[in-house]
Amino acid sequence: MPETTSANAAPAPQALDGVRVVDVGNFLAGPFAASVLGEFGADVIKVEHPIGGDPMRRFGTATERPDATLKWLSESRNKRSVTIDLLQPDGVQLFLKLLAKSDVLIENFRPGTMESWGLTWEAIHAANPKLVMLRVTGYGQTGPYRRRHGFAHIAQAFGGLNYLAGFPGETPVLPGTVPLGDYIASLFGAIGVLIALRQAEKTGYGQIVDVGIYEAVFRVLEEIAAAYGLHGKVREREGSGSFVACPHGHFRTKNDKWIAIACTTDKMFERLAVAMGRPELASAAMYGDQRKRLAARDEVNRIVTEWVGSHGRNEVLAICLREEVPVGKVNSIADIFADEHFQARGNLASVPVEGLGEVVVPGVIPRLSVTPGRITHLGPSLGDATEAVLGSLLGIEAGEIQRLRQQRVI
Amino acid sequence: MNPTPSLLTTDALPLKGIRVLDIATIIAAPFCATVLGEFGADVIKLEHPEGGDGLRKFGTPSMRGDTLTWLSESRNKRSMTIDLRTPEGADVFRQLIAQADVLCENFRTGTLEKWGLGWDVLKAINPRLVMLRVTGYGQTGPYKDRPGFARVAHAVGGIAYLAGMPKGTPVTPGSTTLGDYMTGLFGCLGVLMALRYRDLTGEGQYVDAALYESVFRCTEELAPAYAMYGVVRERAGSSHNDFAVPHGHFSTKDGKWVAITCATDMLFERLAKAMGRPELATEDTYGDQKTRLAHRHDVNEIVRDWCGALTREEVLERCYATDTPAGPLNNIADIFGDRQFHARRNLVAMDAPDTGEQIVVPAPVPRLSETQASIRGLGPKLGEHTDEVLRELLGLTDVQIATLRTRKAI
Repeated sequence: MPETTSANAAPAPQALDGVRVVDVGNFLAGPFAASVLGEFGADVIKVEHPIGGDPMRRFGTATERPDATLKWLSESRNKRSVTIDLLQPDGVQLFLKLLAKSDVLIENFRPGTMESWGLTWEAIHAANPKLVMLRVTGYGQTGPYRRRHGFAHIAQAFGGLNYLAGFPGETPVLPGTVPLGDYIASLFGAIGVLIALRQAEKTGYGQIVDVGIYEAVFRVLEEIAAAYGLHGKVREREGSGSFVACPHGHFRTKNDKWIAIACTTDKMFERLAVAMGRPELASAAMYGDQRKRLAARDEVNRIVTEWVGSHGRNEVLAICLREEVPVGKVNSIADIFADEHFQARGNLASVPVEGLGEVVVPGVIPRLSVTPGRITHLGPSLGDATEAVLGSLLGIEAGEIQRLRQQRVI
Repeated sequence: MNPTPSLLTTDALPLKGIRVLDIATIIAAPFCATVLGEFGADVIKLEHPEGGDGLRKFGTPSMRGDTLTWLSESRNKRSMTIDLRTPEGADVFRQLIAQADVLCENFRTGTLEKWGLGWDVLKAINPRLVMLRVTGYGQTGPYKDRPGFARVAHAVGGIAYLAGMPKGTPVTPGSTTLGDYMTGLFGCLGVLMALRYRDLTGEGQYVDAALYESVFRCTEELAPAYAMYGVVRERAGSSHNDFAVPHGHFSTKDGKWVAITCATDMLFERLAKAMGRPELATEDTYGDQKTRLAHRHDVNEIVRDWCGALTREEVLERCYATDTPAGPLNNIADIFGDRQFHARRNLVAMDAPDTGEQIVVPAPVPRLSETQASIRGLGPKLGEHTDEVLRELLGLTDVQIATLRTRKAI
């Protein structure tokens, strides 16, 4: 079962100690960048609308806490919540005060939204010249489609990823999880933030990091652009296989489970042939050469499918591992929880949440040897840090906080 | 449309002065070096003298022989050959380490140690060094010695299980190397954070990244939902039907596909309007998400019929007119013809050295407003910069270089 990880570990120094991030985004695209920075020591202040806050609090599987789905709890890890109504001028002033004390701002509104509240880059830059601003949207800050809805599902489709998932000629499917594009765009965004922070510390000037979800996804599609540009080759869905290697895909075992086999090179296929007890398959006369296997992929896949189908999953796995064939279980989440490697690496972090007991979430990655990341707490309740941030950080007096609250600015 | 000419600017590159040694292969760890290089780091690719990085042979060959993926993803790198298994090669490597800021590697665990080049040795040579170690399963845990490929990592990390039609064969989540890229991104984040800490304290460290973990980290609430409710998420085709309907891929009259996402009631109301059937969004019909979820088959059927009677352009025009979240499932031909890709300059055309063959590659992501990334050259020829690096960094003479070459150390 999951072990309690970093949540209770003794505090080590962290790489981003002293960095303050204001996260005014909704859902994941952008806010995930803040989550990662927060895991490595940044003080992340989530700024939310006083009524309801981030809609991710209500998106996904509900818990007994009305303001927190499991998705919210996991992905808002380590954040503090401050409520500010940015539609009110007092809210905008308060927000600018907060930015003056911060290093990074992360947002994902449709382009023009923040500007319509008076939060232009000029105003933000004037409030804090060193501030770095990450803007994540479906299509980026420029170009003809910039104002369109930018949900991950649509941006991924636009970026070319969804077209490629599924069987040839059949319905394209989701590439595993819906918001994959949100995560990938956020990772690029966080990299941009760290690079811009480095620059800001040198020069005293921050800048804007602009990421479109579609282009983050498009960036990771290996040679697809070059192959079309040069040869007019349109890559199509490849099912569970691969165009560049064979056998390379998912195969059903006798007990109706699935394994992945990836024979990227001739050497790997030779090992698989030995594992199958048919070393002759890897001879030059037969399928020893990748090109021959690709040309006869149906036949090669049939042989592997038959062999895998006549053994249980553990048996296939043991034989392949013995011969060092690249192989792995196609894990469901139940498989993952039972897996000794996930446990040994602390990938399932169990974190106590008031009123809910232990909640299990993916642990922190990557692993830094001297300044490891950690999870101090999961998604905060709405406005849990409003008074602390306004009072201690911004030096606003109790009476004024009271007034802001009465006027529903916070 | 014509891809944009290359972005050949070197002024204000924010990582200028950072030197990266990339002794890794294929995509995962090298992609971290690629991103650092785009932002100005001096990336020296160290390759085995015979054949070099396997990425040179992975995918579609260019006129020069190296594949298109190599040309694209080894952008901005310099290539030097070195055989780390020879004593002279190891010695040269140790001298290079003394002058490096970052080392990217992805050998199987224990390999560098076997050659006497483990972390302790490298750290003793250069205490300021930051080392990225990418493997399939990480540096620790029971599976650490297994071979790691992204295909297998997708399976082990839990996203392959989720990609495909319900009960059908699990498919590739869009691209067989997705997990490699995601790990490169997480690794790059780790490196930038470790560099920051290094600059503050003088102390380097290593970053341990595993392919399966990068994938698993991006599975939103998969883990907490299993832990709390025992829910094992299954493949869901093109539709994420647990929380929202309609939400998926629909085919159009002209044999193309669109993605439509109605996460909220308001968005469904807009879709109903786009379909010319506002009555579908009333309280008595399908105006409420709960009703749509209960009747998902009927709702999807209506949307499917509507899309199937129109061309893709017609469906999208009508959706955009009512601000319904929708988009095309672009293939690479669509992408080359798209105004947004053109306006954002996502496609960069560069001439391959020697052959002059024009190669179109994805532009760097993200976009920084003041210190833009750039592509200054495509993947180098094997050993193109060996002499240059040895002279420039280590001050070797032509005779010394010739001796190393005779001994097959370089």
